Amino acid sequence: MTIQRRDFMKAIGVGAVASTAGCSQLGGSDADRPDVAGESLTLTTTTSTYDTGLLDEIHPDFEEMYGVTVDAVAQGTGAALESARNGDSDVVMVHARGLEDEFMRNGYGVNRRDLMFNDFVIVGPESDPAGIQGTASATEALTTIAEAEAPFVSRGDNSGTHTKELNLWEAAGIDPGGDWYQETGSGMGEALNIANQQGAYTLSDRGTFISQRSEIDLTILVQGPIEDGPEILANPYGIMAVNPGVHDNANYDLAMAYIGWITSPGAQDAISDYQMNGEQLFFPEAVSEDPDFQQYVPEGWSSDSSDQ
Amino acid sequence: MPLEPIALLPAVVDLPFREGYVSSTIYVSLYVSVTAVTLSTLFSVPVAIVLGFTDFPGKQLVKSIINTGMGFPSVVVGLLVLFTVSNQGPLGPLDLIFTTEAMIMSQFVLATPPITAISLAAITGVSENVRDAARVLGGTRLDVALVVIKEARYGIATAVLAGFGRAISEVGSVLIVGGNITSAEGISKTRTLTTAIQLEARQGQYETAMVLGAILVALVLVVNAIVVRFGDTEAVNR
Amino acid sequence: MIRVSNVSHTYGDESVLETLSLSVEPGEVLGIIGPSGVGKTTLLRILSLFVQPSEGTIELDGRAAWSTDESERLALRRQIGMVFQEASLFDATVARNAEYGLRVRQPWSERIRDHLRSILGSSETAASATEALDVVGLSQKLEQEARSLSGGEAQRVAFARALAYDPKYLLLDEPTSDLDPRNTGLIEEAVLEARDRDIGVVVATHDMHQAERISDRVGVLLGDGFTEIGPTEAIFENPTDERTRRFISGELVY
Repeated sequence: MTIQRRDFMKAIGVGAVASTAGCSQLGGSDADRPDVAGESLTLTTTTSTYDTGLLDEIHPDFEEMYGVTVDAVAQGTGAALESARNGDSDVVMVHARGLEDEFMRNGYGVNRRDLMFNDFVIVGPESDPAGIQGTASATEALTTIAEAEAPFVSRGDNSGTHTKELNLWEAAGIDPGGDWYQETGSGMGEALNIANQQGAYTLSDRGTFISQRSEIDLTILVQGPIEDGPEILANPYGIMAVNPGVHDNANYDLAMAYIGWITSPGAQDAISDYQMNGEQLFFPEAVSEDPDFQQYVPEGWSSDSSDQ
Repeated sequence: MPLEPIALLPAVVDLPFREGYVSSTIYVSLYVSVTAVTLSTLFSVPVAIVLGFTDFPGKQLVKSIINTGMGFPSVVVGLLVLFTVSNQGPLGPLDLIFTTEAMIMSQFVLATPPITAISLAAITGVSENVRDAARVLGGTRLDVALVVIKEARYGIATAVLAGFGRAISEVGSVLIVGGNITSAEGISKTRTLTTAIQLEARQGQYETAMVLGAILVALVLVVNAIVVRFGDTEAVNR
Repeated sequence: MIRVSNVSHTYGDESVLETLSLSVEPGEVLGIIGPSGVGKTTLLRILSLFVQPSEGTIELDGRAAWSTDESERLALRRQIGMVFQEASLFDATVARNAEYGLRVRQPWSERIRDHLRSILGSSETAASATEALDVVGLSQKLEQEARSLSGGEAQRVAFARALAYDPKYLLLDEPTSDLDPRNTGLIEEAVLEARDRDIGVVVATHDMHQAERISDRVGVLLGDGFTEIGPTEAIFENPTDERTRRFISGELVY
């Protein structure tokens, strides 16, 4: 994106003003630095990733390696993909496979990789008024909540978590509604606080719940796959570069450098080592002896199918 | 969220903020809002003078647009600026999305209506006799305008403060066009106090959000005091 | 000399002045008397080149004011000073008020320097401003804020403000109608001082006695023109026009 700005400056004939942006390249004095030095990479990602602090922990390594800065913008999954679709970011990290696939099918994203995963958990008050503790199936637990009309707090903000919640209701064959079902339109932290104050159930990603557990009285009632819960509560994160064929101003080189770095064994170890309140938040899955080919393309795509 | 004042004190001493986080956030807040309000004042006061001194067809329409603009929701302004500066928008090639420049643009749009409207009220409140006096003593149109600005300076200062208050306290537009970015080391790039508060609240960190809120209120108070003092000094020395 | 020839002025359909002529020489005081609302203020606004008359010409020292361009007219305007019925002082010190006319005549570089000096508090009041304040007896109040002055003092400052840049002509529109006798006397003395400085003064007043006291010549404005204009003594002692006579004797009340 810096390159773009510099080109524009030149174009309007005030190149000298650009001394602050990417000066190391203009001067060419810093020969040890890679050519991308001084540029910045715009990453749009989801609030649940950003709010755990993981990116702040691991990014300095990448920034130092290339002499660049990463501008991480936390948005909802929908907004993060929309920014990328408009060409306002270079790389996008989200957790909603269906939306990611649509993004790729429409040609906006390329070179998708599975990055890491954690899981969702169903949390609620310790008193557990609907009695869902120990239920092995997430859909069954939701059905029980709906039948008991026990209060349930929904994010209601088209985030990845909200999308997952709606998918779960659909899988349970329930169209939630009524006084017991509240859409808050807020972030995960706020939703947890609201659920806490109202003694309600909610669906949370494990990372946010762990980071807030000390301040609230909610407890995990249905575990996700990390703690041997149902697979349906898995929460996989993917990363994609914005297609330079669609947006020629996208900083594709640096985006690919970033994807290469974050899927490297070193960065994957750093993700694995990241802890909050003594618990691991994310489980890397980019490095594998036996890569899953489906991570590169929309799910279910094959060269035989008439996908176009 | 109950919060004992005593419980707040250790929170202030032992904040979970990284070094440079709060100061850089304050800097970005002030840089964006002060720049936006300065530009807005340079634009609004001449507009108010023209509106106050001259009659032209459509003047009432302009006034009602300004009055409507005072109540314009900041998120709507944020969306409009986003469409303008986004890669697909008319200013896309300037690459302004997620920069302080884009935030300045949206705060300019937000601050201009109140600054213009309050300045206009102050300027039309200046006695016509004083305008005549400036003219008859040999003043040019510009001299008359300067006299009116000086006479209306308290009202204009109020206008600037109202605009500044609106700019520095709004969260909707700067969040959308700025992206609430910090570096990995916690140095703000486009994070303001308001978006930082929004972030803390989103994470349920209400205590740190309140500390940032207190800093924001203190900042507004300091700026108010400076502007009021500046106005007084002007009056003494004129 | 200011010469007004055959000036008519209308506001909308209403005729305020009709084919009126007069002239003012340097060093004389011309009193304009007439009842309120008769167009004295309009006449003074025309004399001060504030308002372009609907018809007729106005010349300053032989130069026609309205058949020239804006900058030329500004130069002409700057030879004229004016004081209104209300003091209309700026919200600043007495000294800054008195200097205003001098300030706007300076080049911008000097004005900016002056402004910076005033912020630093190291400015000195221009000699002619102090002198003008001396004429109205207020040179000891240089640093006082204008808004803290009494009405009479404020009007005296307004007079000094117009005198400070040494205009060739001075127009006074009911300058003492809101003042007590003492301040009225001080203004009248100042008018005579201005005349002694060879300034041509026009005083519009509804106070016939004041006109008689300070004017060399008097014009009687009744209806939309002068019923009579001439030497003060002749007008007051021996008016030729019947309406003038009745107005001066107080029989004609508007």
